[in-house]
Amino acid sequence: MAVKPIQGEKRVFMTGNEVVAWAALAAEVDIMYGYPITPQNEVMHYWTRLAPKYDRKFLQTEDEISAGFTTCGGVLSGKRAFTATAGPGNTLMQEAMTMAEMMRIPLVQVVQQRGGPSTATVIYSQQEVTMTCYGGNGEGLRIVYSTGSHQELFDYTIKAFNIAWKYRFPAFVLGDGYQAKMRESLNIYDPAEKGIEIVKTYPFVGLEGTPGVDREPNHLRNTYNTEEELNLVVNELVAEYEKMAPEIVEYQNFNTDDADIVIIAHGIVTRAAQAAVKTLREQGIKAGHFRPVTLRPFPEEQIRAVVKKAKKLIVAESAQGQLRKLVTDAIYGESVPLENYYKPGQGITAEELVEYVKGL
Amino acid sequence: MIKTVKIALAGEGGQGVQSVAGIMVEAAYEEGKEALYIPNFGVEQRGGVSVAYCQISDEKIGSPKFVYADLVVALSDRAVLRTKQYVNKDTVFIYDTFIEGIEDDLPTNAKRVLGIPALEIAKKELHPRVFNVIIMGVAIAATDFIEMSAIKTALEKKLGYKFEQDPSLRDLNFKALARGVELVKDLL
Repeated sequence: MAVKPIQGEKRVFMTGNEVVAWAALAAEVDIMYGYPITPQNEVMHYWTRLAPKYDRKFLQTEDEISAGFTTCGGVLSGKRAFTATAGPGNTLMQEAMTMAEMMRIPLVQVVQQRGGPSTATVIYSQQEVTMTCYGGNGEGLRIVYSTGSHQELFDYTIKAFNIAWKYRFPAFVLGDGYQAKMRESLNIYDPAEKGIEIVKTYPFVGLEGTPGVDREPNHLRNTYNTEEELNLVVNELVAEYEKMAPEIVEYQNFNTDDADIVIIAHGIVTRAAQAAVKTLREQGIKAGHFRPVTLRPFPEEQIRAVVKKAKKLIVAESAQGQLRKLVTDAIYGESVPLENYYKPGQGITAEELVEYVKGL
Repeated sequence: MIKTVKIALAGEGGQGVQSVAGIMVEAAYEEGKEALYIPNFGVEQRGGVSVAYCQISDEKIGSPKFVYADLVVALSDRAVLRTKQYVNKDTVFIYDTFIEGIEDDLPTNAKRVLGIPALEIAKKELHPRVFNVIIMGVAIAATDFIEMSAIKTALEKKLGYKFEQDPSLRDLNFKALARGVELVKDLL
């Protein structure tokens, strides 16, 4: 490999889209496939500026359907490949993403959520949770990291490539328009500095030797003839996914040990929730915050442990209950009351959460 | 001691509020502060009200947007209407006196409402192009959170290549900055 794009570690101040491009470079990505859509455009913009300097490639496709499938193709040929999109683009990519689930193609997709439904806004939302976790026809056999800061965008973009290639499931970095467009400080680094080893890639097609003679045939199927055969295959996929889940689940607890009221939030809303808990604690209110970092697989056991001790839960999200569905599914059977703080397509601040909790 | 300063800058597309915001947060970052800047952006290609949300702090910053600002600077009639929502009793609200017919729309709940003739000064004393640099001086003086030297360094970084070509531009920009500071100091 040529010169490392990032030497050592350094503090920088940039937009989230630029962060993603740097992280992909640091993760030794070979190629990005993409089609422009706001607020993700600058991922492509920075990648196309940076990539040629380090002998990396870019292909702009005719639409997101094609961007999704070319990413699949790139990975099948043994390249570390990713794409980035948002909103309606994410919708179009879902068919390719289900193929990646079915054929175990370790691609990475970065999503910078914008408002919905349809064209809606190009600004911000958390309305692509259901689609990013469970989009397409299938069972949602994918890994979804929901980031909340530029540091996490960098860390988890690198991680997404490694986890995808280690376990052979498609991985998603779920950001949003705020994270895409805002500037804040973070440390970018050469992963080796942190002891992070970049998982080796390998081709799935065009292998040496004759299948069945020199080597085992490499079955890459997404089409099946009988119900029984498909059912068997999906059961195996699910079993492998569930075996992996405990190893990759991530979450954070903030003052949940003795909390009466627990705010559940993910992504950038965790920043408001963390600040709200701090303020509420200063005012003598026993508040805590649980944050799932992986939305797929969801930290089910961990949230249940927190919920069992709490007297009241609040799900706060910039969507109409998409996180709540993941939560209620995970804590089925618990009887603690659950309130909703929904603001579909709009940001949530610490001040309003504090006010809401005090008004309960 | 202020820990976090929240600023909303709003104007018509092309008035340069995003450039001002970019330079201010860059200066704050270079000074070792935490800074967060997010532009508002819509589906329109041009025109419309442009708002820049900035936060500068001694510690890590929470949500990228905020409910109330410490400082609102509004540079057009539509910008006044759009940014009134960020005003509360602790907000300094600054508008350009060149804007006509907004007397009844100015916020009544602000800590201070200050009218400044920035556009007029830019046109008569300096150059219309440095209007937004006057505004930067205004914002710096009104919040008093960042060293002038850091702002000048950030300006050099952003416009240095232009200053190289024409050194008189440097004087013009620094003059505009100082004039903006004066405007507010006279009022506060």
